[in-house]
Amino acid sequence: MGGSKVDIKTSVQSARLTPKKIALYAAIAVFLVAAPVYFQSIGNVFMVRIFALVGIYVMLALGLNIVVGYAGLLDLGYVAFYGMGAYSGVLLGYVFQKLVGGADAPLAGLSYWALLPIAALMAALTGIALGTPVLRLRGDYLAIVTLGFGEIVRIALQNDIFGLTNGSAGLPRVGETIVTAAGQKWAFMHLSTTTFTFSKDLFWYVVVVALCLLTIFVIRRLDNSRLGRAWVAMREDEVAAAATGVNIMTTKLWAFSLGAMWGGIAGITYAYWVGFISPESFNFMESVLIVCMVVLGGMGSIPGSIVGAIIIAGLPEVIRGLAQSTALSRFLTPEQASRIGDYRYLIFGGLLVVMMAVRPQGILPSTRRARELTSEEPIIEEENTDLWEVEHKHDLPHKL
Amino acid sequence: MHFNVADVPQQLVNGLTLGGMYALIALGYTLVYGILLMINFAHSEMFMGGAYFGLLWLNILSKQSFFTGSAVGLVLLYAISILLAAIMTGVLGVLIERFAYRPLRHAPRLAPLISAIGVSLFLQNAVLLWVSSRSIPFPVKFPVYQYTLARDGSGSLAFTVLGASDKIVDKLGQGAHAIVQFSTLQIMIIVVTLILLFVLDTFISRTKLGKAMRATAQDRDTAGLMGVDINRIIAITFFIGPAMGGVAGIFSGMYYGNIKYNMGFIPGIKSFTAAVLGGIGNLRGAMLGGFVLGMAEALASGFISTAYKDVIAFVILILVLIFRPGGLLGESVVEKV
Amino acid sequence: MARSKRFVALVAALAALALVVAGCGGTTETGGEKETVTVKIGVTSPFTGDVAALGLGIKNGATLAIDEANADPELQELGIKIEGFFVDDAADPKTAVNAATQLTSDPKVVGVVGHLNSGCSIPASTKYNEAGVVQVSPASTNPKLTQQGLKNVFRVCTIDTVQGSFAGDFAVDKLGAKTVAVISDSTPYGDGLADEFAKQFESRGGKVVSRDKIQLKDQDFKALVTKIQGLKPDMIYFGGMYTEGGLISKQSKEAGLRVPLMGGDGLYTQQFIDIAGAANAEGDIATSVGLPLDQQPKGQEFKAAFEKKFPGTNIEAYDTYAYDATMVIVEAIKKVAKEMGADKLTTPAGKQAIIDAVAQTDYDGVTGKVAFDEFGDTTNKAITAYIVKGSAFVPYEQ
Repeated sequence: MGGSKVDIKTSVQSARLTPKKIALYAAIAVFLVAAPVYFQSIGNVFMVRIFALVGIYVMLALGLNIVVGYAGLLDLGYVAFYGMGAYSGVLLGYVFQKLVGGADAPLAGLSYWALLPIAALMAALTGIALGTPVLRLRGDYLAIVTLGFGEIVRIALQNDIFGLTNGSAGLPRVGETIVTAAGQKWAFMHLSTTTFTFSKDLFWYVVVVALCLLTIFVIRRLDNSRLGRAWVAMREDEVAAAATGVNIMTTKLWAFSLGAMWGGIAGITYAYWVGFISPESFNFMESVLIVCMVVLGGMGSIPGSIVGAIIIAGLPEVIRGLAQSTALSRFLTPEQASRIGDYRYLIFGGLLVVMMAVRPQGILPSTRRARELTSEEPIIEEENTDLWEVEHKHDLPHKL
Repeated sequence: MHFNVADVPQQLVNGLTLGGMYALIALGYTLVYGILLMINFAHSEMFMGGAYFGLLWLNILSKQSFFTGSAVGLVLLYAISILLAAIMTGVLGVLIERFAYRPLRHAPRLAPLISAIGVSLFLQNAVLLWVSSRSIPFPVKFPVYQYTLARDGSGSLAFTVLGASDKIVDKLGQGAHAIVQFSTLQIMIIVVTLILLFVLDTFISRTKLGKAMRATAQDRDTAGLMGVDINRIIAITFFIGPAMGGVAGIFSGMYYGNIKYNMGFIPGIKSFTAAVLGGIGNLRGAMLGGFVLGMAEALASGFISTAYKDVIAFVILILVLIFRPGGLLGESVVEKV
Repeated sequence: MARSKRFVALVAALAALALVVAGCGGTTETGGEKETVTVKIGVTSPFTGDVAALGLGIKNGATLAIDEANADPELQELGIKIEGFFVDDAADPKTAVNAATQLTSDPKVVGVVGHLNSGCSIPASTKYNEAGVVQVSPASTNPKLTQQGLKNVFRVCTIDTVQGSFAGDFAVDKLGAKTVAVISDSTPYGDGLADEFAKQFESRGGKVVSRDKIQLKDQDFKALVTKIQGLKPDMIYFGGMYTEGGLISKQSKEAGLRVPLMGGDGLYTQQFIDIAGAANAEGDIATSVGLPLDQQPKGQEFKAAFEKKFPGTNIEAYDTYAYDATMVIVEAIKKVAKEMGADKLTTPAGKQAIIDAVAQTDYDGVTGKVAFDEFGDTTNKAITAYIVKGSAFVPYEQ
């Protein structure tokens, strides 16, 4: 099996900075800073907001990538952790507000920052609690169990479980507030000029981007760690990995709970960013879209997950934004523009099919996987195009 | 929580009908999975598509007075409409396989999953935008009766047939109440489902083509080497599965009286669950899983909580999988060393 | 490395695309031929998805109002042209907030008519508040919306507490019901309405024999109906929309549970009867905010204008409310333009003045007299009960 020959050199090489890479990173950095500032200065907060939204999905995709891309576990209920982070963040926020003396207390703004690690931990613990009994299931059995778990969480939230979640009406209730994070007011006061406002949306954009960078940093470290290599080994061949001393259960649990943790971080950030959460935001379709981001971008690839998230979360909004932009208003009536906006999911669905047909391994597949795919030995290609297939060939008796 | 023993028989009938529909759809998931190891997310849109094709043919054919004039004509009207709609849905399935999935045959296994989601979004929105975003009434042109087992006014067992506007007390006297009722539609759904399941099972296990399908499911490449035309087998799979799903869609339209562009979503998830519950890739497992899930939902909804019925269904699934990791009829997984 | 090049290209392409979008969305327009000032009224409701029928109705009502406003000589004299800015919120809270941001990003938007769902209106309202733009909802009936203390939020429809308790009284007084099975659809609207109904019904001495919640998009309610049938209630109350409501009505009657189904304004559309089937829906009751169209002061005029503009389209529950909500904003625009000048409308001060003007609205609308209390709720608290008779909703008469 070609995939198990993990080439240490490649990972070292990919970590080395070449001039081209430096240029690329610089370009991205400039874009990340300049674009929102530009949009903000022309008063187009909508785009800033879309950027932040995409950023939250980038976090989710990167988190799920650990589970799906690295460890090879198909999780169709990832929103459960996302919702867990959001709800625990908001509910604990009230507790925090009580502790510091009300929503208007000077320290109340710290609740987001203080709860960020706690929400992450809560989600990770949920991941462990769910993972322990079910992670020995394989492939699609695991997929359906996670799907079920996602639905269970959503329905429980919807039915006001333990009297905490306020059911379908969502949080905050009347009289409660989700206080915005400390720093937003400061930024507004000190970083605004006469022509440029450092808006709340811009502030959250900065927070989201910072969290994304942190996520990327941690996951890159993980990828090259002992654990990361264990994931790859396990994904390629569980039996062989176990034989070489990888503890399969622990390795899977690490992936599952780390993935869940990022779901939690994205969840609390989403809650404080939107300022309102309700169970509808954590439905099955959302889980599916996040899986799409990972696979479309290229499983196991960090840039892939990012690009996948950008395309899937951003594209429908961009189609809508384009249709309703003033440039096109010369050719379209508002009525027609709105109609095109309605077509966005049709176009998006078609594009998904086309993109997968053109690049089945994803847009930016990971180096390791790419080598597997373009291997010169045909047998290896046949075997490795499909790791789970290999797995299933061993295990699943197909009785038709 | 509310337990009324008298409701049990009726809830079983409710569950059986729902389960029959789940079973029909689950077959499509399991067939495709067996051959291609892929979750065909677009299958729920086959269910929806079948319903719309069915409506189309009903509207076209009922313009002919031959079909609406007599009882035989009415039976033929529905039989032909269902058949034509099933064929159209099957063809749609084959086309989708040809253009969306075949290019991905050697791609990573999750790639077709994304294409399937793309197809699903596309088809849903195509119907939404080009047909209607509204619920469309689905006509049932024949009279629907309730075949009722009841206790009559004096408390003894009685059997009666109720029309749409008949009241049970008028027929059996004051104090009469139904124990269990089957409507014409429920009987039709259960009977046709069982026939289709039997035919399909025989087809797969007895015919040469079925043997080729089983061979392909076991090992696609070896089957190819043994002279099985893999592309043909896959095309046939993608015809049968969607055709069955389409029939389920028409039944759903008749049973619930309406069709809508997003009607496939929930039955799609449930049937996928049913297929896994029974042991995905296993035909009889899909049937069993469908009926078990339908029953579980009806009983949970009737006796425990409607709000938590899906939770209960999923908890059952998780428990089954924890104790039988291969599903109800799947063979237990042997760790290969 | 080819891959990184491709990545750069992709990033660049996305950036370019984004810049195009933004550039277009900006204030670059230099319309200087005439001296007219274009202002926009945002209209946002679900144009796609399950409740699109009601959402598109809102769009139609608002379109009609905008067309009429532009034909108004008074507005022409002031040099104002009003444009509709239609955005789909897909009945989803996240999309709704995005829609709100998209609307408030455009400096020309001086007021927003929307949203349909309370679950959308509530999170979006803070966006409008931050941007200092007035929001007038034609249809969000959850009390929480105006209890948030936001000064820019108004609605022309009556709230759930009023409608729910009206329905509770109605069930006891007019229908003589003693027992009821209450169902809701797990949405803020449905749950809120059903809870208000149950509260009032019980306080009037009625008995709620069962309280169930269903999931949206479910189709099979046979098990629920069988259970309710065993409890022999005098009626069923359903808090939710017509899609599920119609199916529950149909399935309960088919199972032999021939008691009326009652619900709120979410059921008050012809679609409900289509889904349930006319024979099954016969005798079902829906309460709706305001007076019936025929009894509304300008109902006939509206009907005529609507049929001229949208031939073959049904008038849905909120069309007239959307019309009035739009007109309320139009009136405020006129008032502010007279006081401050048309060119000041799109400034923050102008938008604030519009909010103040809306708060003092005193307007004779299609739905009756429109004025707002200190919370921003309409002072017109009329509720009408409609009954299905001969496959159409008609006002209930004793």
